[in-house]
Amino acid sequence: MRKMVSETFFVVVVVALVLGNSLLVSSESENNKVKIWPMPVSVSYGHSHLYLSNDFGLSTNYESGILNDAFDMMLAVIKLDHIIDANFSALHDSHLLQGLHVDISSPNDQLQYDIDESYKLMVPSSEKPAYAHLQAQTVYGALHGLQTFSQLCHFNFTSRVLEVHMSPWTIIDHPRFSYRGLLIDTSRHYLPLPVIKKVIDSMSYAKLNVLHWHIVDSQSFPLEIRSYPKLWDGAYSPSERYTVADAAEVVSYAQKRGINVLAEIDVPGHALSWGIGYPSLWPSKDCQQPLDVSSEFTFKVIDGILSDFSKIFKFKFVHLGGDEVNTRCWTTTPHISKWLKKHGMNESQAYQYFVLRAQNLALSHGYEIINWEETFNDFGNKLSRKTVVHNWLGGGVAQQVVASGLRCIVSNQDKWYLDHLDTTWQEFYANEPLTNITNLKQQKLVIGGEVCMWGETIDGSDIEQTIWPRAAAAAERLWTPYDKLAKNPREVTGRLAHFRCLLNQRGVAAAPLAGLGRAAPEGPGSCYEQ
Amino acid sequence: MRKMVSKAFLAVVVAVVVFGNAFAVSSEIENNKVKIWPMPASVSYGHTFLYLSNDFGLSTTYESGILNDAFNRMLVVIKLDHIIDANFSAVDHSPLLQGLHIVISSSNDQLHYGIDESYKLMVPSPEKPAYAHLEAQTVYGALHGLQTFSQLCHFNFTSRVLEVHMSPWTIIDQPRFSYRGLLIDTSRHYLPLPVIKKVIDSMSYSKLNVLHWHIVDSQSFPLEIPSYPKLWDGAYSPSERYTVADAAEVVSYAQKRGINILAEIDVPGHALSWGTGYPSLWPSKDCQQPLDVSNEFTFKVIDGILSDFSKIFKFKFVHLGGDEVNTSCWSTTPHISKWLKKHGMNESQAYQYFVLRAQNVALSHGYEIVNWEETFNDFGNKLSRKTVVHNWLGDGVAQQVVASGLRCIVSNQEKWYLDHLDTTWQEFYANEPLTNITNLKQQKLVIGGEVCMWGETIDGSDIELTIWPRAAAAAERLWTPYDKLAKNPREVTGRLSHFRCLLNQRGVAAAPLAGLGRTTPEGPGSCYEQ
Repeated sequence: MRKMVSETFFVVVVVALVLGNSLLVSSESENNKVKIWPMPVSVSYGHSHLYLSNDFGLSTNYESGILNDAFDMMLAVIKLDHIIDANFSALHDSHLLQGLHVDISSPNDQLQYDIDESYKLMVPSSEKPAYAHLQAQTVYGALHGLQTFSQLCHFNFTSRVLEVHMSPWTIIDHPRFSYRGLLIDTSRHYLPLPVIKKVIDSMSYAKLNVLHWHIVDSQSFPLEIRSYPKLWDGAYSPSERYTVADAAEVVSYAQKRGINVLAEIDVPGHALSWGIGYPSLWPSKDCQQPLDVSSEFTFKVIDGILSDFSKIFKFKFVHLGGDEVNTRCWTTTPHISKWLKKHGMNESQAYQYFVLRAQNLALSHGYEIINWEETFNDFGNKLSRKTVVHNWLGGGVAQQVVASGLRCIVSNQDKWYLDHLDTTWQEFYANEPLTNITNLKQQKLVIGGEVCMWGETIDGSDIEQTIWPRAAAAAERLWTPYDKLAKNPREVTGRLAHFRCLLNQRGVAAAPLAGLGRAAPEGPGSCYEQ
Repeated sequence: MRKMVSKAFLAVVVAVVVFGNAFAVSSEIENNKVKIWPMPASVSYGHTFLYLSNDFGLSTTYESGILNDAFNRMLVVIKLDHIIDANFSAVDHSPLLQGLHIVISSSNDQLHYGIDESYKLMVPSPEKPAYAHLEAQTVYGALHGLQTFSQLCHFNFTSRVLEVHMSPWTIIDQPRFSYRGLLIDTSRHYLPLPVIKKVIDSMSYSKLNVLHWHIVDSQSFPLEIPSYPKLWDGAYSPSERYTVADAAEVVSYAQKRGINILAEIDVPGHALSWGTGYPSLWPSKDCQQPLDVSNEFTFKVIDGILSDFSKIFKFKFVHLGGDEVNTSCWSTTPHISKWLKKHGMNESQAYQYFVLRAQNVALSHGYEIVNWEETFNDFGNKLSRKTVVHNWLGDGVAQQVVASGLRCIVSNQEKWYLDHLDTTWQEFYANEPLTNITNLKQQKLVIGGEVCMWGETIDGSDIELTIWPRAAAAAERLWTPYDKLAKNPREVTGRLSHFRCLLNQRGVAAAPLAGLGRTTPEGPGSCYEQ
């Protein structure tokens, strides 16, 4: 792998070449020079610059609107923050990059779990610029390559043109984990469609690939369910609702950006709002959750919801929740306690019965299942083998899950809950999903991780700055090879600050790095130092 | 004026009609029914609804891209938050609005101070829907009419179409004040272009019409000045700068939305960053502000800046600052103190000399001048009669300014400074620019008011929620006729919270009403109740 660096390091390069060794730039100098977030698997760069031609275009034989649209979006994004008003005829032809040639092996543009997301990006040397080259197995790998390319482009204040400096570049890249998630919560606060779309845009900048949509909870039921049309009576207000077409739009918008939407219903514990439209789902009017385990109607409604989901949410997984179930209402409500006795179940057996029955419904609609970790902690050996256990309570759970042969997603709340404002970006960065998991086969069962933006104090006014930049710190942990991750987060401060300023330049309200989550700037200063 | 209200009040209406009286709905009822912000001068409405046709279009003989663009933006904005997926053939027995017919009297599309911003909007009754009608003297009045129309449109969750309810509508409207400003500060923190553009978009939603751009201050000098190309060496970093083309883009973007840009250089006190590129502008290296009053070069640079300004910033006014001048460096620096003695000036006379000389430079470039109030407080009778005095220190100043025959803009800091987070929206709403000014001629000299978003703790991450919804409260004070303003802000809480939710639906991060400025939601709940 060729490594070329600017003059400062040129002597070193020469020495290295003389000694016939390949040059391994230390990660520290790479963090200072290469302002790409998340850091790719392998990067080599030079020390000259190329200008982007005024009609910089896409060249490809790949036929899918997704690539074209993504290229146009990339062009729009890199031109956002300054007006290009160069005199192109005055620039040397030789240094003009005419376009990007994109080569994609697979014609399939279906987005699915564990799709190949790798890409290879080459920006030529200034001697023969013409086209940059991007190769990928799938269009979604190419999308990541476009994101990387966008981060190589800078406005040159002298020539008033976009340029790629430090050319030539060769970047070979693929993600470390296949599941790189962000949770949003539209039950505690309704999030308007444009807000969700902007979150999706910003996720794509950080190469996250799963939007975990915690649609419904106790507080409100904002989504239309055609099978049970009174469910969204549980919305906060008539206008704080999503139609099926709105949800389909979210899925389609995300898919065009390489992002899967993981839909969740959180049963039986976080479902009080279901009973606004269908009160018989409550144990009683005075004791309104969890859902009535003794009622067949409960499972009919779950079946209806999952049937409707399967028409909209095409991701391989559905999330069935299962956390924080307080079963007291089941024993204090006479008809349920009678039912429990009749079936010889105690409360915890009924909880298990509920979760497993819901799992079977999801399986019958073709889904694999994600459940919060309490289901594993309580009856892990009974869970469907198609279950992915979603850790949240703390560290150490992933270890046990993968030891049992099940898959796991890591979201330990002490490190990856974005609503914990006192968790710093450094802690988000340092949280290692494979901690204490050494067996290779078991490591593969950790499919990834997710940062969670629970919505109790989050609405359209503060979601972006509470998510960013901390989610970006986790995004690098989930994307970049372990050996390239900074051992001390301090090493990447400058590069992350650069990324957060980039987000601001793209209109994303990413907060300063200094201070806790959602911190306002402490005083005047440069974006790059806050 | 006809007033029709929904069934609950029909009996009252009938009674009133029988008695032959004009029906005056109390402002309290209007605040509950009419969800328009700011409240128009005159509103009448009915109780039926109209759907917007799928190809709802613009019909006009007016030839200017501004109107077409504004209409198209309006269509995009009203379609942002839900997917329109009606079966129009199934709703064709319902009244369909085919489009909006716009008549504009003046063909001049130059935006200038004091332009006619009035409009009249009529949405027909369902018997003969066809077209809504908008009449205005100028295209900028029509733009306000489009904003009002956009607030009449709602997504109907049953038909899945946009509808105008409470038709027919007749709205006659014009602003109370001709200057309705918002200050942004790009010296304490650089604001990327997309962030400024989004602020401009949101201003247009609340009918503000002046963006006061406090470009430069002590901390940084982000703008390119071709006449003195080292000035922007005082930027925080090479990428935190605006080219002339960027500034021109801000002006043009704002103008297309009916918004003027008031550019400011704040001399001599808030100009330390000028000396980074030209150290001779400092009294000395150790004593760096105010600008060196004894140096002819100082005024040459001001002349160069204002000459460059006059090519970009076409607004009638330029802001020359003049506040918070600590002249101690002038007397402690030997060459300046010598110069003072030679010219027989003390420090405060030198301050006056500086301000008046800068005023003359501005006048020579065709500008009228805005200066902060200290200039008036210290030597008001010496100021150019073309000066508009910008109040900020406190109450009662406007009174004195207009009594002296000068014009005034009100921004008293205890009520209209957005960086004062402990000033609530109710206080923003209740701040009356004409307090204690009863003489009609003097009232006319108060050209308006401005809310100030000083940037010490403001960057791309928190600007929107610190501005909104409090700036909207002031926007109504500046737009709506005095007699229609709520005497108690509590009366408009529901309507303002509706507007803040509308901002969220349009992707603007307006904060909850409850609590202080830039507050986050206290807990789960409906947008309309927070």
